[in-house]
Amino acid sequence: MSSPALTRVVRRETHSPRTVAMFVAVILLILALAYVGLEIILYLAAQPALLLGPGAGLAWVVGLPSGQGGGIAIAGAAVLALVGLVFIVLAVTPGRLSKQQMTWGDRAVIVDNGVIAASLAQHVSDETGLQRDAVVVGVAHRTIDVTVRPGAGIPLEREDVQSIADTAVDSYQLSRRVKTRVRVERPKESEWDE
Amino acid sequence: MGRMNNTNRALNRILLFVIGLVFLALGAAVIAVSTWPAAGDIWTSAGESADGWLAQTAETTRIAGTSATWIGVGAVAAVLIVIVLLILALTSVSGRRSKTLLRSSGAQNPLGRVTVTESFVSDAIKNSLDADDDLLTTSVTANTIRKVPVLHVSVTPRQNTSPRQVVERVDQLLTNLVTLTGQETATYVSVHSGLRAKLAHDRSRLS
Repeated sequence: MSSPALTRVVRRETHSPRTVAMFVAVILLILALAYVGLEIILYLAAQPALLLGPGAGLAWVVGLPSGQGGGIAIAGAAVLALVGLVFIVLAVTPGRLSKQQMTWGDRAVIVDNGVIAASLAQHVSDETGLQRDAVVVGVAHRTIDVTVRPGAGIPLEREDVQSIADTAVDSYQLSRRVKTRVRVERPKESEWDE
Repeated sequence: MGRMNNTNRALNRILLFVIGLVFLALGAAVIAVSTWPAAGDIWTSAGESADGWLAQTAETTRIAGTSATWIGVGAVAAVLIVIVLLILALTSVSGRRSKTLLRSSGAQNPLGRVTVTESFVSDAIKNSLDADDDLLTTSVTANTIRKVPVLHVSVTPRQNTSPRQVVERVDQLLTNLVTLTGQETATYVSVHSGLRAKLAHDRSRLS
C-alpha cells in the first residue's frame, strides 16, 4: 500500500472529521449572533426589546463586577467556558476512530475493532471448547484484552489461550503492533470450601 | 458508511478551535470580573469609557429624523456578514462529497474497444458479494482522491466472521476483475461491525 492517495484515505478513514462538533459550535454561534443582531434591529426600528435592548444590555455587562448578575451570571459563564474548553480539546486531539489497518499488499484494508474482537472471541471459543459467551475480547488502539471464564473445575492454562490468541492476531496482519493480554477468571470457590 | 469525501477537516478543526476559544475567553472574563475586584475595576472603567464613546458616536451618526444610527446599522451588517460566512462553512461540508466515474478503456481487440465504467465494476463486485452468506451489506463506490480514482469496497460481515477471510474473498474478486478489465485501480476495503451485524443471527453451523 504505497500510493499517496491510499495513504490519505487510510488517514481520513481512521480519524474523526469532527464535523458534528463543528456543526454544533457554528450553530450555537449563529444563534447567539442572530439574537444580538435582532435586538439591535429592534432598537434601530424603535421597537420594544425582546429581552434587553443594546443599551441596557451593555450597561448590564459593564455593571457585572458590582455583583448584580449574581450567581446565575457566574454559573452561565462557567458553562460557556466549559463548552469552549470541550471545543478546543476536540479541535486539537487526533480523534482516532476504533479501527485497525490490515497489511494487504497493494490494497488498503481497514477493519472496525468490533469485527476483530468478535472474530477473535469466536476463534478462542472454537479452539478451547469454551462457550462463546465465556470469552470476552476488547480491542483498543494498541492492546487486545482477552478474558476467558472457564467454569469451576475446567482445566485451562493461560499460556495455551495466549498462544491461541497470538496466532489468531498474527493472522490478521495488523499494521500496528498490538499487545495481546490474556486473563483467566475463575469463579470464587469459597462455597465449595465450607 | 465510509466518509471518503473531500471534507475540509482543517477548516472543521480551525472553526472549532476559534469558537471554543471565544466561548472560553468570554466565560473566563465574566467569572474573573465577577469574583476578582482588581479585574472588576479594570472592566468597569473600560466599560464606562466604551459606553461613553458609543453614546457619543451614536449621537454623531444619528440618521436625521429617526432613532436609528449608522453605527447601529453597521453593527447589524457586521453580524449578518459573520452569520452568512458561518452558514457558508456549514453548507460547504455537505456539498464536498465527490463522485467519480471510473472509466477504463481496454485495448482494441477484433470486436472493438472495451470500456468499463464504475457502475459495471460496482455491480459486478456487489452482485458477487451479495451472494456470500457471511456478508450482510456491501457497498461499492469510486472517488477521486488527489486526482487518483480510488475504489471503495465496504462490507459488513455477520458477527464472529474472521475479517481475514472476508478480505481474502474481496481481494480474490478484485484480482479476478483486474484480469478481466486489465486495469488496476487503487482499492480501499473497509470491514464494518455495526447494528446489523449484532442483530443478525450467527450463521448456523452444521457439524
